[in-house]
Amino acid sequence: MGDAYCSDCKKSTEVVFDHSAGDTVCSECGLVLESHSIDETSEWRTFANESGDNDPVRVGGPTNPLLSDGGLSTVISKPNGTTSDFLSSSLGRWQNRGSNPDRSLILAFKTIATMSDRLGLVATIKDRANEIYKKVEDQKSSRGRNQDAILAACLYIACRQEDKPRTVKEICSVANGATKKEIGRAKEYIMKQLELEMGQSVEIGTIHAGDFMRRFCSNLGMTNQTVKAAQEAVQKSEEFDIRRSPISIAAAVIYIVTQLSDDKKPLKDVSLATGVAEGTIRNSYKDLYPHLSKIIPNWYAQEEDLKNLCSP
Amino acid sequence: MGDDQVLEASQQVDFDNYPSGIVPIIQNIVSTVNLDCKLDLQAIAQKARNSEYNPKRFAAVMMRIKEPKTTALIFASGKMVCTGAKTKQQSKLAARKYARIIQKLGFPAKFKNFQIQNIVGSCDVNFSIRLESFQISSHGVFSTYEPELFPGLIYRMKKPKIVILVFSTGKIVIAGAKVEDEIYEAFENFFPVLTQYKRVQR
Repeated sequence: MGDAYCSDCKKSTEVVFDHSAGDTVCSECGLVLESHSIDETSEWRTFANESGDNDPVRVGGPTNPLLSDGGLSTVISKPNGTTSDFLSSSLGRWQNRGSNPDRSLILAFKTIATMSDRLGLVATIKDRANEIYKKVEDQKSSRGRNQDAILAACLYIACRQEDKPRTVKEICSVANGATKKEIGRAKEYIMKQLELEMGQSVEIGTIHAGDFMRRFCSNLGMTNQTVKAAQEAVQKSEEFDIRRSPISIAAAVIYIVTQLSDDKKPLKDVSLATGVAEGTIRNSYKDLYPHLSKIIPNWYAQEEDLKNLCSP
Repeated sequence: MGDDQVLEASQQVDFDNYPSGIVPIIQNIVSTVNLDCKLDLQAIAQKARNSEYNPKRFAAVMMRIKEPKTTALIFASGKMVCTGAKTKQQSKLAARKYARIIQKLGFPAKFKNFQIQNIVGSCDVNFSIRLESFQISSHGVFSTYEPELFPGLIYRMKKPKIVILVFSTGKIVIAGAKVEDEIYEAFENFFPVLTQYKRVQR
């Protein structure tokens, strides 16, 4: 039932849609306005408990706007069983050998997906990393460089842009074969490429120790109380002139806070969870020691407890 | 006596030309010169005393002289790079000395196109700096600060085209100048920005 303009009645009339013939008919004069309309509802009926593997409503994966044809191509797969029929088993091979403009992109996206799975990153970050990679790939100048480093750097930048930074060491651990130095260089290169492409809008904030606190604390299995104390401590420590990388400061603060609590984590555990070397944590501890009373929150530990801490 | 006079003269000039009160010290000058003749690096490495030549590592002879204390990279095409001098005159003198050594070894070396490529200076502003604040401020376009990768902030000034490394201790390195005045000019431009981001200790 709807209202449309009927050319015979010369006015807007009520119109009936006849599903069996696909006609749109004017209810006053009987004129067929549109015939053979295409039914766009689903072809098969699906029931909730019957999904199984072959749900015929949807075919293929989600469309990917980054790929050149939206990911709509068809692939000939290997036939079931072992047909030693030359034609059917080689069709798949022949199709693969043909030129496929997206092949490297698809491979790269798969690598990024693997890396982000290992780190447990959300799909938003993974998609952003894919976008960044596509932008970089568009300019052919990145061919000679270490592809692993470029992919790792794309992921690193995506994490930073979403305000959930991951340390370069963490990215290193899931990137196969890329060293910290290479990822750093690739990151600088990509930033420059992005600036060339998009004007000046590439803004990534500086990292702060507080961004990593939650993650490091949960890696160590600290209680809520200690986590809160550690976060406050890190906030306060930013005011002081401590010349260390924010990650090292975070690691040292975690070490101090756990030493003050009942559940003392050894240096080795803190070093493993944060990726910071034990020696660096010791040195950062030395740097933090003079300001301890101002950094550690009062509700967590009193002066006497601080005195109990070993002095560097 | 002469030293005292030099000191006084520089302190008088101080606040007129250098309103910041700090004068960067030139640490290194890199220059190139064309000796204009093809050289046999193997022969040079064998005959000359203070030279090293490792063709698998790098395709040039590295020669060092004690006075002025400099190092030169000499290529087979006849081009030479001279580094380590502290003043322009020293750099030119050193380059001439190297050319003389090559001449004495039997090659018809000339002294074409002596040009200073890079001058590096450093100084200390004597106060701590909050590097994170550069990124947020209007200078964020020019600055790169990645504490995980490098502890210093890299500031690329457009005019004059100079790169400044800023460390949180207050030490500054200025590089990329072709003439000494660019270093002083860059520092004078930059000093007010630095004082803005001074770290105030409580």
